[in-house]
Amino acid sequence: MGSILIVTEIQNGAIREASFELASVARALSEANGKPVKSLVVGSGVGDLASDFASKGGGDTLVVDDALAANYSVDVQSAAIQAAVAAADADVVLVSNTPTGWDVAPRIAAALDAAFVSDCFKIEAEGDSLQFYRRIFNGKINAHLSSSAPKIVATMQPGAVAAFEGPSEGGTEALAVDLSGVGAKFVEVKAAEATGIDLTKADVIVSGGRGVGAPEKFPEVIQPLADALGGAMGASRPVVDAGWLPHPYQVGSSGQVVSPKLYVACGISGAIQHLVGMKSSNFIIAINKDPDAPIFEVADIGVVADLFEVVPALTAAVLAAKG
Amino acid sequence: MKVMVCLKQVPHQDARLEIRDDSTWIKEDNIKFEINSYDTYALEEALRIKDANEAEVVVVSVGPDRLTQALRTALGMGADRAVHVNDPAAEGSDSLGIAKILAAVAKEESPDLVITGLMADDDNYSAVPPMLSQLIGMPSATGVLKAEAQDGGYRVERELEGGALEVVDLPQPCLIAVQSGLNQVRYASLKGIMQAKKKPIDVKTAADLGLEGQVGASAQKVKVEKVYVPPKGDTAEMVEGSSEEIASTLVAKIKELGLL
Repeated sequence: MGSILIVTEIQNGAIREASFELASVARALSEANGKPVKSLVVGSGVGDLASDFASKGGGDTLVVDDALAANYSVDVQSAAIQAAVAAADADVVLVSNTPTGWDVAPRIAAALDAAFVSDCFKIEAEGDSLQFYRRIFNGKINAHLSSSAPKIVATMQPGAVAAFEGPSEGGTEALAVDLSGVGAKFVEVKAAEATGIDLTKADVIVSGGRGVGAPEKFPEVIQPLADALGGAMGASRPVVDAGWLPHPYQVGSSGQVVSPKLYVACGISGAIQHLVGMKSSNFIIAINKDPDAPIFEVADIGVVADLFEVVPALTAAVLAAKG
Repeated sequence: MKVMVCLKQVPHQDARLEIRDDSTWIKEDNIKFEINSYDTYALEEALRIKDANEAEVVVVSVGPDRLTQALRTALGMGADRAVHVNDPAAEGSDSLGIAKILAAVAKEESPDLVITGLMADDDNYSAVPPMLSQLIGMPSATGVLKAEAQDGGYRVERELEGGALEVVDLPQPCLIAVQSGLNQVRYASLKGIMQAKKKPIDVKTAADLGLEGQVGASAQKVKVEKVYVPPKGDTAEMVEGSSEEIASTLVAKIKELGLL
């Protein structure tokens, strides 16, 4: 019969929202293919979290509660998931595409010789198969994939579906796993450094991307518009990776997550990791010469043009309007 | 010390992408290819280890004839030799198929360290590196922004969300999948490019690696039904005109928002 196994993730002492999103996906798959939903909670002193999750979408929940699992380690997580897959007779394993999820999920697929699909924004059951939808080429193209493999591991993009909110029937069961002989050893988590650049408080952010082309163009073209609007300057990841601006300027899932009143994206194509960091802005203006850039999907106003013509013109017009 | 770097050749980031007639991938004729950006950071990290110590850097990749160009670039940057798995029977491999090929090469090479990029710019999967580490029994870390050698292995910093970092100790041999931006990648020098012409590229088939029938399209566990251009969001109002006209439309909107 098999089952659908949700691999939960604990962050700051609570089960992440993304795990409840997996519960939504699992419940919908279960309705279509009749397989029961089961869950796995791994950590130290996590019994209460597990019983709570069991009743809020998780269903019957396996618990690996061990001091050795207090912090994430790929080997601990991998051993726990493999034991849970066997105990739950799981044929579908759902994981969130977070830094821990992408670290461990492909390992599980290799260990089980399973089909693997990552970072899906939609998963549907159709007969004996699963249908997956995901972005490729940094969001420029979508892919629809399918698998009927006897074992499937898939990761979901956090935030792609609503979290499950209803109640569920289910109890918890302790799962004993040998977690000794760990290869990768957790040392510590270093919190993000405070840098004095807090984009989250800015009303207006003007960000530049790879399209800005060179580091000196930021003070010449992007910063003047930010100044004229009384806002702050930001950047996308490629700009920071290239060393054009330091990391504190980075907007995105691995930088600052912002929601200003106005976000102006200049020469930013709109890779998902950037969109996650700014799509909840109140109003978004995107300027990019590529009409197919994914940034236009989240923009309120789009301008397909050369930013080196439009941005200085806009700066001048803003200054003129201020008088 | 032997460092194995896995790299992938992908369509150039600025290539104009068009979908193939059978809708299973993009048209690959008439576009430029380059080394996957994440993998250039992986190669750079390996070359820094070579610069600091005695190390042999072996680049390994799977792909058709066009891949030679990427391997020559890697050799020109300073890698010592390359292994090119070039076999029509390997075409259509899914991520696990590619991981099996790389694992077979790793078993022949017995590297002390494997470095890869976190993900590929084309399919955005980030699947192969952890799969490879599982298949060859090495501890691994993904999204690495810093790697420092220490007694018996490496201390690495993995990128978490919002700028936090997770510090992990890996015993050697191990696999490190690097995040973009952990170093500044060098260019191949003219001298390097000249020298690269004499460096060996070892071409292998799936059968050479004992993988006949285990990889390629026939062994796929995941099938591509269709790739398609995402439906356009209907929220964006597109503004056209001269730069001045566009600027005045935008200023009017910014005024409406109460920001001017």
